Amino acid sequence: MTATATTAGAQARRRRGRRPAAGEAHRLLPAPLLVIVTVALCLMVLIPTAYIVLASLNTDIGVAEGEFWPSSFTLDSYSKIWTTADLGNGLVNSLIVCSFTAVASALLGTITAYVLVRYTFTGRLTILRGLVGLQSIPGTLMLLPVFVLFSSAGNYLGVTMVGTRWGLFLAYLTFALPFSTWVMVTYLRGLPRELEEAGRVDGASTLRILFRIIMPLSLPAIVVSAIFAFLLGWNDVLFANVLTRPETHTAAVALSIFGVTQEGGALPVYSQVMAAALVTAAPVVILYLVFQRYLVGGLTAGGVK
Amino acid sequence: MTDDRTTTQRPGSETTLAAEPGPATPAAPSGRSKRRRGVTQRQRPLWLLAPGGLLMTLIILIPLGVAVWISLIDLDQYTLRRWLDAEFIGLKNFTEAFQSGLLHSIWISVSFAVLSTIATVPFGIAAAVATQNAYRGRAMVRAVFLIPYVLPSFVVATVWRTMLQPDGIVNTLLAKAGITGGLWLSGPKSYWTLILVEIWAAWPFIYLMALAALQSVDGEVHEASAIDGANWWPKLTHVILPYLRGPVLLACLLATLNHINNFTLPFVLFGAPAPDDVNVMPMIVYVTSFQSLRFGLSAAMAIVSLLLIAIPLFVYLRALRLDVHEDGGQR
Repeated sequence: MTATATTAGAQARRRRGRRPAAGEAHRLLPAPLLVIVTVALCLMVLIPTAYIVLASLNTDIGVAEGEFWPSSFTLDSYSKIWTTADLGNGLVNSLIVCSFTAVASALLGTITAYVLVRYTFTGRLTILRGLVGLQSIPGTLMLLPVFVLFSSAGNYLGVTMVGTRWGLFLAYLTFALPFSTWVMVTYLRGLPRELEEAGRVDGASTLRILFRIIMPLSLPAIVVSAIFAFLLGWNDVLFANVLTRPETHTAAVALSIFGVTQEGGALPVYSQVMAAALVTAAPVVILYLVFQRYLVGGLTAGGVK
Repeated sequence: MTDDRTTTQRPGSETTLAAEPGPATPAAPSGRSKRRRGVTQRQRPLWLLAPGGLLMTLIILIPLGVAVWISLIDLDQYTLRRWLDAEFIGLKNFTEAFQSGLLHSIWISVSFAVLSTIATVPFGIAAAVATQNAYRGRAMVRAVFLIPYVLPSFVVATVWRTMLQPDGIVNTLLAKAGITGGLWLSGPKSYWTLILVEIWAAWPFIYLMALAALQSVDGEVHEASAIDGANWWPKLTHVILPYLRGPVLLACLLATLNHINNFTLPFVLFGAPAPDDVNVMPMIVYVTSFQSLRFGLSAAMAIVSLLLIAIPLFVYLRALRLDVHEDGGQR
């Protein structure tokens, strides 16, 4: 059970076990058509992807001349971007802000979700609906008042919020917290109640049950909700673009600024842009590779990227 | 593994198109759940909601209320730091919003979102059908299909922006084939560029949802149609695809919402202010507030866009099974 992040994952696995016995009857497409569809879709994805990788290994001049296959392979672009694109600073900022967002929203989300799943009270359905609805609120609508409140915080409260990592962290929680809570709700309601009732009979307090029984049992789901919260922050451009100063730029902002400013230069440095893009995408790709099974199940459960 | 499982509980059962269950108030509990409620009603640790609830009130509910207030006041860069003292002007922001190109943006946004969603469905379903049966190397193919989805939006937008430059690789390759590519990132073609890149980035979402639905089709269904001697095409269109209709429609709804809200792709692809042909709602709100610094006006625009989103969102929330409290312990 601890390995099952979502019901979708569990069902998929059960099916996988049955499939070999089923054989020919389950075939959906005739072999030639299957090959055509698969190859066509793979090419659609792989040609641009291959170009990104190849261009990042090319020289800037080679890419500017329109080479698809580099005439000479070099890692130059990967060493240049650290000075041309302010990428290091951006990666560190992203890492700090997104990690805090991930931990805070996963922990608070788990506690909130536990109460929402196990106990009934007035307004519970409204909260559940709100958690889902909040994920579809336009980011611009959320950013506006947050920006106004943060800018006036200096006047009314004497604190600087705009441009700080704390400000960005709070802003990210507006999306990460409802999302993590919802991921935990979908997981915890599949967790048998009997497990904690045993603890309750033994006289354990609610807090003890939560930390000693619920949290260890739902660790995979907590990790998934933390990763999604992390990715929400990592992939954001809107909030970071408005709420950061140059010193607090995130990786996403650093990359998009680099992509735009280099176009004004005499020689386009497309190779470096591709290398920087791959470097900023790397943490996300690694997270997906490591936690692939859980994350893909969570994607279809939460329905949000 | 009963038959009704496939009709009432698809994978990711919270996205099931099921009838809305009754209200959560303990009205007429069945015998089994009465015992459960007895345990839970006595000591409900609702105070545990306090940390998350307080934080959400502070950073979500209050800002949303403030957003509504901002849309009713005349707020610009001069009054920003003292927004409590800004002049109340009622619905003037809303009338100005409709006079300054909001309808155009709504039209661009909605048509872009709907076209992108419709175009991604065949790709997603074809990919799901093609990877449903096991074969050597399928895991690789599935991983490849996820690449556009896993890449962050800003990375996808940056690389396509680079590839679609006037002297970029796309035009170079087109020139070799004897086609003049022209400008992709400005002018009327930019609208189609936005749609094409969005399709490239978003089709795996439909694929994932369709695949989950496909995997919930019971083996007996396949075997029955095999015994009936159904050919692959009638089997696919008449037996298998009907199973996908509900989940894929739900996925389409979500995808449309995501397309309408997509800020990163147009922002990074075209920059701000965006060309008129791709001035989608998130872009016009962003430019009005953070470049023209007309915060009141842009808040009004954002609220109009929320009202627009509320329609598909309402349908989605109705379709969603929220309250599975009762069967929470049964699995």
